[in-house]
Amino acid sequence: MNTMLSLLLKSMRSRIIPTSLVTISLMASMVLLLSIERIQQGAEKGFNQSISGVDAIIGPRASSLELVLYTVFHLGRPTNNITTKTINDVKLRSDISWLVPIALGDSHRGYRVIATEPNYFKHIRYGNNQPLAFSQGAPFSDFSEATIGSDVAKKLNYTVGSEIQVTHGSIESIGSKHDDFSFKVTGVLNKTGTPIDQAIFLDLKGYELLHLGWKSGKKVFSLNDINFSSLPPDALNPKTVTAAFVGLKSKLTIFNFSKNIREYPEEAISAVIPGIALSELWSIVGLVDKGFQLLSWIIIAISLIAMVTLIIASLDNRKQEMTIYRANGASPKFLAAMVIYESLIIGLMAIIGAIILVTIVTYFATTQLNLALGISPSFEWISIDEIKVFSIILLSGALSSLIPATMVFRKNIHQTLS
Amino acid sequence: MLHTLGLEYCYDNGKKIVFPEIGVQRGQRLLISGFSGCGKTTLLSLIAGALKLQTGDIKFDSYDYSSMSSLLLDRLRADHIGYIFQTLNLIPFLSVSENIALGIRFSQARKSRISNLNQEINRLVAALGLDKEVLNTPVNRLSVGQQQRVAVARALLGKPDLILADEPTSALDSDTTKKFLNEVMEAFDSSKQAIVMVSHDASIAPYFDSVIDLNEHYA
Repeated sequence: MNTMLSLLLKSMRSRIIPTSLVTISLMASMVLLLSIERIQQGAEKGFNQSISGVDAIIGPRASSLELVLYTVFHLGRPTNNITTKTINDVKLRSDISWLVPIALGDSHRGYRVIATEPNYFKHIRYGNNQPLAFSQGAPFSDFSEATIGSDVAKKLNYTVGSEIQVTHGSIESIGSKHDDFSFKVTGVLNKTGTPIDQAIFLDLKGYELLHLGWKSGKKVFSLNDINFSSLPPDALNPKTVTAAFVGLKSKLTIFNFSKNIREYPEEAISAVIPGIALSELWSIVGLVDKGFQLLSWIIIAISLIAMVTLIIASLDNRKQEMTIYRANGASPKFLAAMVIYESLIIGLMAIIGAIILVTIVTYFATTQLNLALGISPSFEWISIDEIKVFSIILLSGALSSLIPATMVFRKNIHQTLS
Repeated sequence: MLHTLGLEYCYDNGKKIVFPEIGVQRGQRLLISGFSGCGKTTLLSLIAGALKLQTGDIKFDSYDYSSMSSLLLDRLRADHIGYIFQTLNLIPFLSVSENIALGIRFSQARKSRISNLNQEINRLVAALGLDKEVLNTPVNRLSVGQQQRVAVARALLGKPDLILADEPTSALDSDTTKKFLNEVMEAFDSSKQAIVMVSHDASIAPYFDSVIDLNEHYA
């Protein structure tokens, strides 16, 4: 055993260039697989934590995916609204700790406007239950004020004090602009890596105000013609909202709560549990990652084939070496084992290299990825799943080296003696 | 010590060789001569246990080749036989002393006969007329004569009973051949070991106790 290892290592050292090239290619393909796996895990975790601290989302009866898409990701349009009366009814329930309504529909230069209440910033969290924080200013406190996400501030160069006008609907077109009223930015949120970064938050009252002069998607009179002080005090209370985020006193009551909501007699509404809806959504989005994963397995297979090819090709050059071993009494088993050990050593070196490389990369890339995409790849040396992956690679490496090993085993030494 | 009985070998191409009976005693130096292609190397491979017996039998001390598996024959070769090739005897990525030590790497029996490996290597190297410097020279910088001496040192290490040499002098000039054979015959222990060498060069016959000419056997 000792004899074999020291002979083998010396033999491999004499073929250092092809051997290390194959090791590097195997290592590179494993780095690819590991990185994809870790980014995928980070992305899944980030995705599932797009919203946090919310126990349920109430909206018009629709599929839970739809509801999550427009309330959490601000994608698509709600088909229906729910009345404020319904929201107020739900608010009265004793199992509710807090409720934040939102209204969607308007936008500003491509960024979605979310009309809500100031306590949105208190209750809505992201990631691992992290509260929203402000890089500048504070939440809006008046119907003429706005709070913006960090991407909006950065891309459009807005700071506290900037004035913005919003557009009716999500696409800017002539006549669709609420150009008769401006909102003043009072606060910019910190980067969260969630869709919140790309949102503009208004007070529900301000949103209601914008639509005072509008009837079925068309402006019928301008806000310039209105004297705000003559408005009755409840004129700006919204009549409908799009959805509401709910926090419960006890998470245990969630299923009972959502059942009750579904059975609410006066309006067709439903409640979804964000965690469940998000992981449902991930099972669709995550397919892309599965594709990448498959691709990196194929690359690993190719690298293993390259390794076996190298070993087979080197056998011809090592004829002399093998013959001398045999003449000195080495059994064919010894030579075959030597070939298998060679593949194991290459595999092991590639694995160790890959672990070190991926660890270094994730260590340095974590902050960058987090800032850019809101993904935090899990930083750890090696996980149980990864050990499984490595064992599979090592095993298939050893199995495929059985081909050259059999070739060596079958070779009769007299073929090379003369 | 060694005895062959009715050995015949048939090659893949149908050519068949019938070998004469060969007997070797301890201390004996036997030369098997004959032109190339007369089966000298085949005979040596059969004796070394590297080639499967087809017809006939070989007896080596208490061993009977026809009843032994290839694994046992490998062990027999490791323990009792030192083998020297025509050329390319050395492994290029090993040092000279590692190449010599290869002789006992696969045999516990030969290893146990040596108390101090370095001392024994030095002794053999000196006995074969090699400079001590050679031990530190890369294998590919040695002359052919030096390489063949290193191969002999490996074959002699741990005192195997039988030394088999396949045309070890074919790449040497006649002066070097003489010197080489002198040294080999010096270094080999005639009280315990026997040597069987094959060569097409009949001029080296004086160095041997007996000669078997395969050509004659054919005729």
